[in-house]
Amino acid sequence: MKKGSKLRILFYALGVLTLLAGIWGFVLRFTIGEQGANYGSYIPWGLWVSMYLFFAGIAAGAYMIASLEFLFGIKLFKGTGKIALWGALVTLPIGLMTIALDLGHLERIWKVFLNPSFGSIMAQMVWGYSLFFIIILVSLWVVIRKPQAKLIKPLFIVGVLLSIFLSGGVGAFLGINASRVFWHVGLLPAQFPFFSLASGAALLLLVLGWLAPNGDENRVKQLRALGLMTIALAFIKLFFLFTDFSQSLYAEVPDNVQAVKAILFGDGWWLFWFIQIGLGTLLPIIILWIPKIGQKRYWAGAMGLLVLIGIAVARANIVVPGLLVPEFQGLSTAFQGPHLGNTYFPSLMEWLVVSGGVGIAILVFLIGAERLPLWLTKSSHVPEAEVKQ
Amino acid sequence: MPKEQKKPSESRRNFLKVLGAGGAIVAMNGLNPTQMVRAQSTGTTTLLDLIPEAGVGSDVLIRMQNDLHRAMLKKPSERHWVMVIDLRKCVGCHACTIGCVAENKLPPGVVYRPVLEKEIGSYPNVSRAFVPRPCMQCENPPCTPVCPVHATFTNEEGIVVVDYEQCIGCRACIAACPYGARTFDFGYTYTENTPVAVGKIVGKDTADNYERIANDEYGKSYARPDDHGSPIGNVRKCHFCLHRLREGQLPACTTTCIGRATLFGDANDPTSLVAEMISKPNIMVLKEELGTKPKVFYLV
Repeated sequence: MKKGSKLRILFYALGVLTLLAGIWGFVLRFTIGEQGANYGSYIPWGLWVSMYLFFAGIAAGAYMIASLEFLFGIKLFKGTGKIALWGALVTLPIGLMTIALDLGHLERIWKVFLNPSFGSIMAQMVWGYSLFFIIILVSLWVVIRKPQAKLIKPLFIVGVLLSIFLSGGVGAFLGINASRVFWHVGLLPAQFPFFSLASGAALLLLVLGWLAPNGDENRVKQLRALGLMTIALAFIKLFFLFTDFSQSLYAEVPDNVQAVKAILFGDGWWLFWFIQIGLGTLLPIIILWIPKIGQKRYWAGAMGLLVLIGIAVARANIVVPGLLVPEFQGLSTAFQGPHLGNTYFPSLMEWLVVSGGVGIAILVFLIGAERLPLWLTKSSHVPEAEVKQ
Repeated sequence: MPKEQKKPSESRRNFLKVLGAGGAIVAMNGLNPTQMVRAQSTGTTTLLDLIPEAGVGSDVLIRMQNDLHRAMLKKPSERHWVMVIDLRKCVGCHACTIGCVAENKLPPGVVYRPVLEKEIGSYPNVSRAFVPRPCMQCENPPCTPVCPVHATFTNEEGIVVVDYEQCIGCRACIAACPYGARTFDFGYTYTENTPVAVGKIVGKDTADNYERIANDEYGKSYARPDDHGSPIGNVRKCHFCLHRLREGQLPACTTTCIGRATLFGDANDPTSLVAEMISKPNIMVLKEELGTKPKVFYLV
């Protein structure tokens, strides 16, 4: 990214503003605590858990995209792997931060490491993501410092497998709750790796479209390939949505119908129709489909951003509707009290904390993208003969 | 913000109910609980010695106290605690809810035993049904395996308990419970924001202290601290008043039930009242299809 470019200034400004708002959110979180949140006892998870799914999904997806260069050796993607790994390294801790702030006793998180119950999906996720973070870190270090190391492929085999299983594990984390019929479908864990890959592809579209330095002759083709991948994944996501929703509505299981109707026609209907489907899925399909527009950097970057926003809404539209259906009719009115409602919209504190996470992610990513050797330069082109040796 | 979160007056009203019910519990027992414990510890007279033998026509509470006496003489693992709620006798007075809140000093937003209300039929054929919903103490609880740190588990008496010092407050158990039987302690107090008006508002300090001094859950002392210590930030649930059982007392919801609709005892004892009741043909459990095997039964 050129120093002084308008986009660079815009992104830094966005990062600083969202971080400043986030600092206020963090102050609220650590002073008034979870009283400032709108989730409660009947809707125990909300925006923060959704954003954990979102950011962890980006990290897993970005790692998968990085493997196109470092594991599968696809020449077209040469030079994109390091920045994808950097994206994974930055977004994973943000995901873990949002889920950590959701805990009633954050200071006891060490218990998950020292006294874990490995039968619990959540414990598996904590261990798995900790290991994944180390693998991303080591992968990035190796590809920067020891690009010829034989360790790279085995490392990426482990990393890619882990990214697939962890993505699926997030789906299982929700899906194992048998009484939440909206989540409890066998296909839920199977969908999440696709969501992650879509997140990773969208991040790369955004980064290569808007932030990458000029000079890579493959850039247009890379954007086209990522665009086509995004289109394919968008159709797969639509297919999953159709199967989920149509099966629920045809079967007429009351709890399931209620959850699906809450998404389609509930208070947040506009989030689903306008942002998740309209801006986050259909518009990117159309724009990226047309080569003349979709290959243009600014359009491709914009579509990457829209897809990411759509996926963020989609994650919330998985977590919250599954909890909106009460275990018993009348439960929320049987006893009055704070956080005993069965409606949910995130509080200001919840938004601010997420804003802080976004701010940290933007700033750290930009600083790393400018300071670390993550981009393909002429000196980093290694002759093939040398590689073979 | 949901409507329910904007009702401080509701919270204060609940608290007044709590105070009233707390007094009622002591009055109904007719004895000072601390004296009873003291008597037990000196080995002279125990609470159980004070309970008369149940006879024909005597109150079911007397019979259940006798059942409890026999159960407590057994090894914990040989007890099979069961609660039976006779929905035909429940009048929807919510005394059990409030008795439970008073006994366990539950803060606003935490409830172990709400009573669900439902209107049935249409005019002129209208009736109301009341369904008290404590923790079901499932034999196959979906809430315990999801805990990442072994903080919630089934104890040797078959009661699903929470280790407050171990709980990290992730609320995975809340999401997993099919009965909505767990609530999260967000750290509220009923007396919060009560105005100070010397000479006009009497008893504010006493009420404030009442809320903050320790309850006796799990036989431990959990005062309500200001530093976000447990049980604040924890998931909480009904535990069949285990601490009361240790002292030879029936659960608070059982003793406060004015219609004697809530029955409690050891189902492993064939002579107990609950063993007799759960063999009736009109017995049912909630959400049987889930296979959780609740230990709370309903007579319908």
